[in-house]
Amino acid sequence: MNDTSHAAKAPALQLSDIRKSFGTVDVIHGIDLEIQEGEFIVFVGPSGCGKSTLLRLIAGLDDPTSGDINLNGKRVNTVPASERGLSMVFQSYALYPHMTVGQNLSFGLENLRMERAEIERRINDAATLLQIDHLLGRRPGQLSGGQRQRVAIGRAIVREPVIFLFDEPLSNLDAELRLQMRVEISDLHSKLKNTMIYVTHDQIEAMTMADRIVVLRGGNIEQIGRPLDLYNHPKNKFVAGFLGAPQMNFLEGTLEGNVISLNCGMVRDVPVAQPGTGKVTLGIRPENIHVNLDGHGDETVTVQNYEQLGAVTYIYATFPNGDTLTVQHAHQIPLQRGQELGVSFPSEAFHLFGEDDASMELTR
Amino acid sequence: MSRLTTFLSRTAGNGPDRAERIGITDVLAYSYLFFGVLIILVPVLWTFFSSIKSDTAVESFDTRLAPMDQISEMIEDVGEKDVWIYTAEDGSTQLVYKAGPTRKVTDVAPVDDPGAVFKVPRTSLAPHEEMRVAVENYLDPILKRNGQDNFHFFTYLYNSVFVTVIATMVTLLINAMAAFALSKYRFRGRLTFTILIVATLLIPSSIILVSLFFVVWSFGLFGSLWGVIIPAAATPTGVFLLRQYMLTIPDELLEAARMDAASEWRIFWRIIIPLSLPALSVLAILSVIWRWNDFLWPLIVLISDPASHTLQLGLTQFAGEFDTNFHYILAMTVVTLIPITLVFVWLQRFITTGIATTGLK
Amino acid sequence: MTPAGFTVAFAALFWGLGGAIWLLMRRRYTLRQIPQFFMDLLGFPVELAQSLFGRAGVPYALLLPNMLIFGFFTFLPMILNFYVSFTGGASISLFDRPWVGLEKYADIFTCENYLSPKSCSNPGYNFWTGMFNTLWFVLIQVPILCVAALVTALVVNQNIRGRGFWRAMFFYPVMLSPVVIANIWNWVLHRKGALNASVGEARDAMTGLAGLSGFDMVATVIFAVILLVVSERSLRSNDGPSGSWTAVFGVLIAMLVYWSQPLSLIGLPGSGWLGLALAGGLYWSVSTGQSFARMAIIGAGILAVIMLLMIQFDAVFSFGRYRPINWLVTPNTGWPFFWLVFVFCWSHMGFYMLILLAGLQAIPSDLYEAAKMDATKPFRAFYRITLPLIMPTLTVVLVLSLIRSFQIFDEVYLLTGGGPGRETFMVVQNIYEVAFANDHPDYGQAAAGSILMAIVIAVFTFFQLWLTRRQSDL
Repeated sequence: MNDTSHAAKAPALQLSDIRKSFGTVDVIHGIDLEIQEGEFIVFVGPSGCGKSTLLRLIAGLDDPTSGDINLNGKRVNTVPASERGLSMVFQSYALYPHMTVGQNLSFGLENLRMERAEIERRINDAATLLQIDHLLGRRPGQLSGGQRQRVAIGRAIVREPVIFLFDEPLSNLDAELRLQMRVEISDLHSKLKNTMIYVTHDQIEAMTMADRIVVLRGGNIEQIGRPLDLYNHPKNKFVAGFLGAPQMNFLEGTLEGNVISLNCGMVRDVPVAQPGTGKVTLGIRPENIHVNLDGHGDETVTVQNYEQLGAVTYIYATFPNGDTLTVQHAHQIPLQRGQELGVSFPSEAFHLFGEDDASMELTR
Repeated sequence: MSRLTTFLSRTAGNGPDRAERIGITDVLAYSYLFFGVLIILVPVLWTFFSSIKSDTAVESFDTRLAPMDQISEMIEDVGEKDVWIYTAEDGSTQLVYKAGPTRKVTDVAPVDDPGAVFKVPRTSLAPHEEMRVAVENYLDPILKRNGQDNFHFFTYLYNSVFVTVIATMVTLLINAMAAFALSKYRFRGRLTFTILIVATLLIPSSIILVSLFFVVWSFGLFGSLWGVIIPAAATPTGVFLLRQYMLTIPDELLEAARMDAASEWRIFWRIIIPLSLPALSVLAILSVIWRWNDFLWPLIVLISDPASHTLQLGLTQFAGEFDTNFHYILAMTVVTLIPITLVFVWLQRFITTGIATTGLK
Repeated sequence: MTPAGFTVAFAALFWGLGGAIWLLMRRRYTLRQIPQFFMDLLGFPVELAQSLFGRAGVPYALLLPNMLIFGFFTFLPMILNFYVSFTGGASISLFDRPWVGLEKYADIFTCENYLSPKSCSNPGYNFWTGMFNTLWFVLIQVPILCVAALVTALVVNQNIRGRGFWRAMFFYPVMLSPVVIANIWNWVLHRKGALNASVGEARDAMTGLAGLSGFDMVATVIFAVILLVVSERSLRSNDGPSGSWTAVFGVLIAMLVYWSQPLSLIGLPGSGWLGLALAGGLYWSVSTGQSFARMAIIGAGILAVIMLLMIQFDAVFSFGRYRPINWLVTPNTGWPFFWLVFVFCWSHMGFYMLILLAGLQAIPSDLYEAAKMDATKPFRAFYRITLPLIMPTLTVVLVLSLIRSFQIFDEVYLLTGGGPGRETFMVVQNIYEVAFANDHPDYGQAAAGSILMAIVIAVFTFFQLWLTRRQSDL
């Protein structure tokens, strides 16, 4: 990818101050976003954050209350869905149950009044790509979940769209198939090199597939960035908590200068860029906490529960004051409930959030 | 345990233990069903069997099931005569015809010897019969033979088929359109339209007869088949039946079609219509029954012009004009009930389950 | 060319030609897309609405044809009805009708005694005769129809063989046209028809049999054996008498009481009712599980033996010669009215049965299984589970059949023509005859009648809904 060429071209999709309300309920509160050509963008957020609505606004299935949608530099607010050159994979796949797979694929092309030969060519290409050639004569009802998913993607591919839109496409699949399709969609993106916008509530899908993640909450964008940037440098407590499983530990406390005293008793120096005074929250990811079986360490916690997964071990423990702590240990260790455990917190893994939940800058 | 009450409270397929032995409950249930079906079928079948009897058998109210017809033969120099079987006192029988008026002692002559007239008691004569299906009951009115030129069968049939087919097609189309609008669009006035349609459900058709007649007259539809077709083409029942069904079609399908560059009309035509086929066919069957059997409104609109009578009207007029020609009336009654019966036999399972699950009248 | 014709021609031109040009200018069609072209042409107004007003215009375009027809052929006549009822004369031009105010209503209400239609003016007499007959018909018809439909639905809903067949058979008459139904029943009910013939033959055969010597004794023995078997069966089970067998037993008792006429000993009529009451009481005591049920059956059995000895069977079964009845024509017998109710039930019962059947099948069967686990008596299960849960459907059936029965015309008109005399003259026939089958059509009178009828129907419907308001989900 060449950054200079992008700068010269208009972004594939540009949203400026998009707002949407249904009746008196505001769902989207002014969203600005630029997406470059060829990017794989994931909208992620809890349910009700407006991610699907935003996708439908881009698709043209709903009209924004205010704001502009630009595709390749052209304003498309009034352009109907079918003429925006986008295609969409729906959560329920929305395959036409009364048509065969082949007819499902060709329906949209026929509506565009394409030559028969061209339609055939595109269907064959897409079918070969997705390995559904042998299914073309069947009806959606006769297909398995994974096959339906492929047909739905195929229907999007044959349109040769500028942008692919995916609306939680994997949520109806079982875990194994979901993993497989995740990889396939990623492969597809590297083959087709189209712009793709993918909506999900599953942070693993977001982390694994995205070039850039857009985290949404309550109709606002919380943060945009590459997956690891978001993971390592969350802008606020919400993003920090949303990405990563098990969730980041949050420990309440107060900051005075660059000394933080937590409710659980721990007192530490933290490299705060701008020392100050006030209530803060210390965040630390479970995998960054070190376990000392001999009881030594920064702090001592009591094991309440644990999960031995083989490769990793999750420990759920409490501080003496009742604050809970989740620890991820990369090895198998012998554990008992009620056992005392020494844990240490490397300060380079600290995240600090101020009273407004925004991330505070640390110097490392 | 009280088994009669068991059947009162039993649901479908309740209890595999029942199959084991036939109890009094089953006997009562089956006898109820059997007598019920007897009451329903016997009059219809009796009409059918009567309709294939000869005119003399029908006029004499012959209650035998088989279509027995007295044989008549051409007797030389005498003409066409009914043939009787004469049983002599010694038990021998002879085919004769009546050579004079029927009296206590009647003049008869053998069929093979027309001149040899002799006297026999009336009680020793029995009609000489054969079993014969009286096809002429059907063919005479249909082909206008034997002076039966008042029953324009093919005209009536054409009118009935025309009204039924066109009205059903129009009904399906416009009701599906309205149902589509009410089920799949959010728009200002949707509630108002829904309430308006419910209101028409509550207006019985017979209380607007008089003014409907004025309206139809003003439109110039009076006396024409369109005057029967159009006023009843929009049925609230149909709209609701289809709307309920269309609500179950996922909106995502429509959105997928919109992404597929289909216009709203094409979505209706290519997605909604094929997916609503079960409900549409129930409405189609209901519409066919309504239209084929419709009586009062066609009677008002079409009665003045025999050329536009439907089969039902034609049959009524026919029955009124020929009060004695029962054999023709019965035959034409059977002709009228045959199409609907065939449809029913063919589609009975579909009709009964379809109406039970999707529709109220 | 009439204005209407002009409008139609213009619309056709606009739709057909304009639509074709509009479509061909915007879209390309290949040869194989000709059907597609015609479909697009059919939906041309909708396509036009979409291109002019966007998707928001589409629902209105879709609703237009239906609402036009509702508007012109349902709502407009509804309003016109009032106008017409205030005008007189025989003109069918709406603007040519003289305003007469309430005269047409006054005609109907000109009565000396409001309970006797005979004391009314001529239009009043016709209207009120029709109205009273119709009310009478509805009051008799609706309960019978609903009970018959419910019982049939319950039976068909059983775990019986060939359920589809039975269901279809009961539905079949719904498919037949009124004209066909009328012709069939006219033929069966003719004075020399099949019904009279079979009743006559059966009675003659019975009379002949009863005339044989020793018939009385043989009949007594046969009945005694039947009574013995049935009463033994009823009492056999340990956990209370059997309901079904008690029902059979009850029917036998009722017959015996009817024949032996015990009340005639003290010079009173009405033994038939006494027998029915006895049978009903017996069945009630058993089905509700009364403690004295067993004693009641034994007592009834003893009573039955006494009655059996009292009956002279040869006298009971000697009917004498049968005179064929002219079912639909003989006045003052009630038969025409009876057959009207019967034929109406015959032809409409299947439809309501289907609706009720759907309601029954919607009741989850685990409710009955739960009731069984609770040792609920089946009869109680019917009253406490089936009936309450079927109530909404039953309400729908009641309202539908009420509105339907009120509008009865076809069957009456074709079977009895309102006769004999005015015995079966219904209110819709009055409207029809006043307006359309009259040398001097009085549309105003007919419209006034329609409005009064609409009021009565509305009052009845709301009353019924009010009665069943708790169960109703209309």
